[in-house]
Amino acid sequence: MARLNRDTIAAVLLLALTGVFFSATYTIRKTGYGTVGSDVWPRAILVALGALCLVYLLNALRGVAGAPAETRGGGLSGWFSTYRNALSCFFMYGIFLFTLPYLGMLIGGVAFVFLLLNILGGWRPRQLAFHGMIAVFTIGAMWAIFTFGLRVILPEGEILRIW
Amino acid sequence: MIFENILGAADALFTIPTILLMILGVAAGLIAGAIPGFTITMAIVLTLPFTFGMTPIQGLATMLGVFVGGLSGGLMAGILTGIPGTPSSVATTFDGFPMARKGRPGLALGIGVWSSFFGGVISAILLVSLAPQLARIGLEFGPWDFFALVMFALTITASLSGDNLIKGLIAGALGLLVATVGSDEINGVERFSFGSEALEQGFSFLPVLVGLFAFSQLLSDVQDPVKARQPLMPPGAAAVRIEHRQAIRAVLSRWGNLLRSSLIGVFTGVLPAAGGSISNILAYDQAKKASRTPQEFGTGIPDGIIAPESANNATAGGALITMMALGIPGDIVTAIMLGALLIHDVIPSPTFITENPELAYGIFIAFFVANFIMVAVQAVCLRAFVLVTRLKMYVLAAVILAYCGIGIFALNNIIFDMWTLLIFGVLGLVMKGMGFPLAPMILGVVLGHIAELNLNRALSSSDDLTLFLTRPWSLFFLILAAFSIFFPWYQKLRGTQKWTLVYPAVMSFSLALPLFMMGGVVRPGLGLVIVLFGAYRLWRHARNGWRLEAPPDHSATLRET
Repeated sequence: MARLNRDTIAAVLLLALTGVFFSATYTIRKTGYGTVGSDVWPRAILVALGALCLVYLLNALRGVAGAPAETRGGGLSGWFSTYRNALSCFFMYGIFLFTLPYLGMLIGGVAFVFLLLNILGGWRPRQLAFHGMIAVFTIGAMWAIFTFGLRVILPEGEILRIW
Repeated sequence: MIFENILGAADALFTIPTILLMILGVAAGLIAGAIPGFTITMAIVLTLPFTFGMTPIQGLATMLGVFVGGLSGGLMAGILTGIPGTPSSVATTFDGFPMARKGRPGLALGIGVWSSFFGGVISAILLVSLAPQLARIGLEFGPWDFFALVMFALTITASLSGDNLIKGLIAGALGLLVATVGSDEINGVERFSFGSEALEQGFSFLPVLVGLFAFSQLLSDVQDPVKARQPLMPPGAAAVRIEHRQAIRAVLSRWGNLLRSSLIGVFTGVLPAAGGSISNILAYDQAKKASRTPQEFGTGIPDGIIAPESANNATAGGALITMMALGIPGDIVTAIMLGALLIHDVIPSPTFITENPELAYGIFIAFFVANFIMVAVQAVCLRAFVLVTRLKMYVLAAVILAYCGIGIFALNNIIFDMWTLLIFGVLGLVMKGMGFPLAPMILGVVLGHIAELNLNRALSSSDDLTLFLTRPWSLFFLILAAFSIFFPWYQKLRGTQKWTLVYPAVMSFSLALPLFMMGGVVRPGLGLVIVLFGAYRLWRHARNGWRLEAPPDHSATLRET
């Protein structure tokens, strides 16, 4: 039943997404110079996508859609347990991006790798030292290669700029 | 002319910095390919930012080094531990690991290395000779034909990507949709930006690709907290001495298997989107069928290593043929290479080889040379591989996530690209969790612009839609697309339902039709051969009283290499 529900929900969401995009095709500006309008190709894709999503929905309701990945146990806690590490990565990466204008790539990158290593690997004192070394060495090396070797200006952040 | 082009390209390629970069690339590829969960695509993605500052030939030679190294690296883990390093070396473990357990790991590795080498060299020769010919055929293609080719590429990827065709097709359509976001290439009109300034330019191709593939793959790798904290591989991998002389003798004495498997590899590579993950299993199956002692397969025999290893390396050459001759990526790795070429303002198309002979032939030679470097570097990397296996997955994942971010930022110096990476990483993981294959979506993103451009050109020159069916090449690709849609059912039901007995024959007859329409002597002649092949199959089944045959041992599905 869980499988059926999940596929049904996915199919309904995809159909809704198709609907939103299809309605957005009417806001695409018409030009006088092109033989084929800019809305033709997206509409063709969306019609095909809509038809495929309908078939997917019907299959899901009949219970014949492919099996999705398994989760540990049922309910929200099972889902959280399955995706805990992935969610941590997303969350930390999001924080890294939000703080990038302030911390810059060097400090932000080291902090991101260090914290993520601890979240994924553990917080014991010996591990902290090991993770710290990895973070400083790997990000420091990459930052140096890009900054001095490839001459790419990585975001320096507010902190380094003040210094 | 060809000789002049080769000399000119060799002059640009054989410089100390370029060769050093290739050696580094091959070494990195070998180690990356040897690590389970760390795919060749990911290694190429990580290499890409370093190539921005290089000349096009240096950048592509480095990436080709990673590609060839990665294809060969997968065999190390497969043979020494029984866990394939990459999906393209799955079949290598069937006989490689038993041979190693019998006390001949050095010979097993040697056979793997030299089969990879010979497979790569054979495909490099075919690449040099076939790519210009295919490009010449490509010059005949009109926009209708290119559009039909893209449709075929998408349907075959969707049908080979898993057991749910609908999900594959939805993924492909979503990829096409993503490619439409932002400013329209033809009319310059903004689409689907929903008021966001960042979306006005659309999504950059590489952040989407890296997010969908590498980012989501890394997150899958660390999903299990217990496995993420364990070393990459169980103890068992140890540095061994490769028995080169005996291995060369073993490979060359089985030249029939080597040649057949290499040709299977090249052919699989030429097919849009089919990669080494398919060719190694196909070649293993064919070697088993052709063997006088098929019962020995799986017990640790040289033929069982030669077939998959020569095929997977040969696939790389095949994939490059399609990319360079038609501008259609043969697999995900060549899709990234296509992105790298675009960064250097080089657009592969049927005129690419004639307009950029130095670069095109440079790629040919680099691919050829990379195979030699691979053999030389293998022994050194074997030791590094043993060291790397002591690492834990979460360490690798955390560092690579950061590297992906830095690399993607360096692409356009825009932080929005890093957000794109995150968004598509989440999307990729969710899609994988729901059982949607990612390969069709990636191909959709890559091919979306080509499809739209050609559809636009086709409709601008004539509003007659029947041209898609009356032009021979367009009809040829549309027939292939139609049959590829039914391929998953054929593969699943082969040997259990009567209609599967006539499927190949009907496909042969249908494909012969556009070949007859092409005129001349060669193509209708080829059509006749195909018709005769189909008729022969029908006759054989009729003679057997339409008896259903047992399905094969291994079925091939596309997985990201």
